[in-house]
Formats: sequence, structure tokens, C-alpha cells
Amino acid sequence: MTRKKRRLYILLLCGLGLGSATALTLTAFQDNLVFFRSPSDIMREAPPANRAFRLGGLVEAGSLERGTGADGKPTANFRVTDGAHVIRVSYAGVLPDLFREGQGVVTLGMMQPDGIFRAREVLARHDETYMPPEVADALKRAGHWNPAQGAAPPPAEWNTAPRRGG
Amino acid sequence: MTAKADSSPSGAAPGARSLHRFANPGRFLRASARVQVWLWVAAALVLGAGLVWGLFLSPADWQQGQTVRIMYVHVPMAWLAMGGYTALAVASIMSLIWRHPLADLFARELSPVGALVTALCLATGSLWGRPMWGTWWVWDARLTSVLVLFFLWLGHAALTRAFEDQERGARVGAILALVGIVNIPIVKFSVDWWNTLHQPASVTRLDAPGMHVDILYPLLTCALGFSLLFGAVVLARTRAAVMERRIRALQLARARREEAAGA
Amino acid sequence: MSHTFFITASYALVLLGFGALVLDAARRHAAAKRLLAELDPRGDRP
Repeated sequence: MTRKKRRLYILLLCGLGLGSATALTLTAFQDNLVFFRSPSDIMREAPPANRAFRLGGLVEAGSLERGTGADGKPTANFRVTDGAHVIRVSYAGVLPDLFREGQGVVTLGMMQPDGIFRAREVLARHDETYMPPEVADALKRAGHWNPAQGAAPPPAEWNTAPRRGG
Repeated sequence: MTAKADSSPSGAAPGARSLHRFANPGRFLRASARVQVWLWVAAALVLGAGLVWGLFLSPADWQQGQTVRIMYVHVPMAWLAMGGYTALAVASIMSLIWRHPLADLFARELSPVGALVTALCLATGSLWGRPMWGTWWVWDARLTSVLVLFFLWLGHAALTRAFEDQERGARVGAILALVGIVNIPIVKFSVDWWNTLHQPASVTRLDAPGMHVDILYPLLTCALGFSLLFGAVVLARTRAAVMERRIRALQLARARREEAAGA
Repeated sequence: MSHTFFITASYALVLLGFGALVLDAARRHAAAKRLLAELDPRGDRP
């Protein structure tokens, strides 16, 4: 075996070891790597009381009520859904630009004893859909899509880009 | 699979031999001189067109509005950060297995550029996140793994320069670069493996890109333009490093001659 | 802060960053080429 070949095999072996070690570590820490929990996660395993955590999902259509708190700050009550379960959220503060019904959100806060999630931070989550306003309007007019109900239809239906893959 | 693994060492050897032609610095400098001119010209044309297209001619997004234009610089930086790191890993393999001297110089000149590009990716992402998400930064899997990528670039740049013996520095840097390559699939797939605040991939979806062509095409143009410019900068730096090495050798030889003549 | 601020800041950072890279690379390349021509007028040079 030449020296070059030996170096190559050593490198391959190290790569294999490193790769499997990383895969095992990531699997072991799976729970800590998720940024937020969905309503279904919380139904399955109740979060510890008095511990802040992040709740994520879509803002349910027709659930948003904006108001003004006693201190003059804007308030918002809405429900977060992942399709299977729903959790009510209350928040006092300014909502991000992208916040709307049907949009993904990630909220940080604590579960109250009455079952309402009191958020102290609300972040909007952008989905992977990018389209000009005219295209979105055309889809809405044609009845293909109501943004308040959730994600846009599959891109193959509206994007004129050449299809790839299967 | 087995056959492929068996054939790869011998299959890689001819390629490596032909690449060794460029280990001769004079030959490399002559061969890359014309390539370099074309790279600068192509980069200026494509990037100029892409930036004008993205900044002025492309439509706004239906919900992000004008802020979508940040993507035309953010996404190319992200792709270059990852693609550049993959190139660093390839150079590191060539350095460790075939002791290719040009691969060492290339890696050394690449990492500061990669670090800057990754920093720009993080900064532009933050400038997009503040108005869109409502925060400059979160510790989700995507953002954190890109921050790790930035530290890997910085670490490589520092480590290769930390040794008196340049060859030793290159060797240690190559090992760091190859250990760090595990981070690349983590960056890429973090948005699929774990839920993150960062959105999943739009362009490399399996069915069709989730990005309308009026937004996608300027993005691809910008990405090509930035890649050409990145290539031109790294090539110019590598050429400069080859010449600087030759200069040091010549100066050393001259000093020895003068010393011998004086004695 | 309006969206113009964020867009301008992003493009400015990227252009400044790449501008610095290009200038530094061009300066280094030119300096090395000149010095090499001085030291080795007949040697193999680009």
C-alpha cells in the first residue's frame, strides 16, 4: 500500500467515525434542537408549570382579536393551531409586520392555569413561498387560495418555472 | 456502492496527477492569468445586471413587500458560505493525501474570504429578520449552525497562520476544515430535521421552486454574479500568494549570494 | 425604521465587504507582480 493510499484510508476512517458520532449526538439531543413545540406536542406531553417555552403553529383563521390594554399598549388574542390541536394565546405588545391569520408564528411565554398561553414575545414565521402581489391576487380571485386558511397551493400550480424532479 | 468505494482511490489518482501539473508555480501563474481577466469581466457584467434586476426591476413580494430584496444578497452569501467551505474541504483532502502545495496556498487564501461572506450572510439575515420576524437573532438550529460555520472559517484562517512552519499550519488547518465539514449538512438540513424559525428551502425543493420566477431569476443571476466575483477574488489572492512565495525564495537566494560574496 | 433602511444597510454592507476584498486582492496582486518583475526580470512570470 502506498503512503498516499494509506493516508486516504485513514481519512475515510476518520470521516466515518466523525460522521457517526455527530449523527448519534444530534439524535440524542433532538429535543433540545427544536426551536418551538406545536400544540400537539404540548397535548401529548404537558409542559412543566412556571417554565417558559416556545409555542409554534399557524394563527387560526378568524381567531385574531386586537384590542388596547389598560396601559394603552396594543393587545392581541388569537389561537395557534397545527391542524390537530388548538391553543389560545394572549399577548400585549406590537406584532411583527408579517403577523396575520394563516401565518406561522413562534411565541415565547408560559402556560397559565386557565389553559391560555400568555406570550411575552411573538415572532412571525415566513414560509418558503415568494410571489409578486399580482400572482397572489390572481390566486385569491380564482378561489385557489385563502391566505387566512394556511399555506399557498403547491408551486407547480402557479409557478411557470420549469418543473424539476418527479 | 462497494464497487464505487473500491474504485475511488485509483479513480481519483489520474485527476490528482493532472492537477499536479499546476503545482509548478510558473505554469499555474501562466494558465490562470487569462482565466483571471475573464472572471473579473464576467463577474462585473453578471453581478451588475443581477443587482439592478433585483434592486429595481423585480417585483415586490406579496407579503414581505420591498424587504424581499434583501434576499438577493443574503441567499448568495449563504450559498457561497457553504459552497466555499466545501471547496475548502476538497482542498484539504488534496493537501492531506497528495500534499499538493497549491491546495495549501488556496485554502489559506480562501478562508478569510469565506469568513467575510459568512459574516455578511449573518448580517443581512439579521437585517431581514428584524422587520419580518420581529427579531434580529434567535438561537434556532439554522442560525446557530451558520454561526458555527463562521467560527470554523475564522478558526481555519487563524490556525493556518499560527505556525512558524507554513506547511505545518496548512496541515493543522486542513484537519480542522475536514472535521468542520460535518456542519455543512447540518446547516443545509437543519430546517427539515428540526422545526426552526428560519423558513425551509425554496429554490431546491423537489417538486418546483416555491419562488415565483420573477423573483427566482434575479436571485439566480445575483448568485452567479457573486460566485464569479468570489472566484475572481480567491484566484487573485492565490496568484498573489504564489508570487509572494517566489519573491521570498528569490530574496533569500540573493541575501545568501551577497553573504557569500562578502565573506 | 422603514424597510428602506434595512434594504440599504444590507446592500451597503455587502458592497463594502466585497469592495474591500476586491481592492485588497488587486493591490496585493499588483504589488507581487511588480516586485517579482524587479527581482527576476527573465524568470517565468505571467
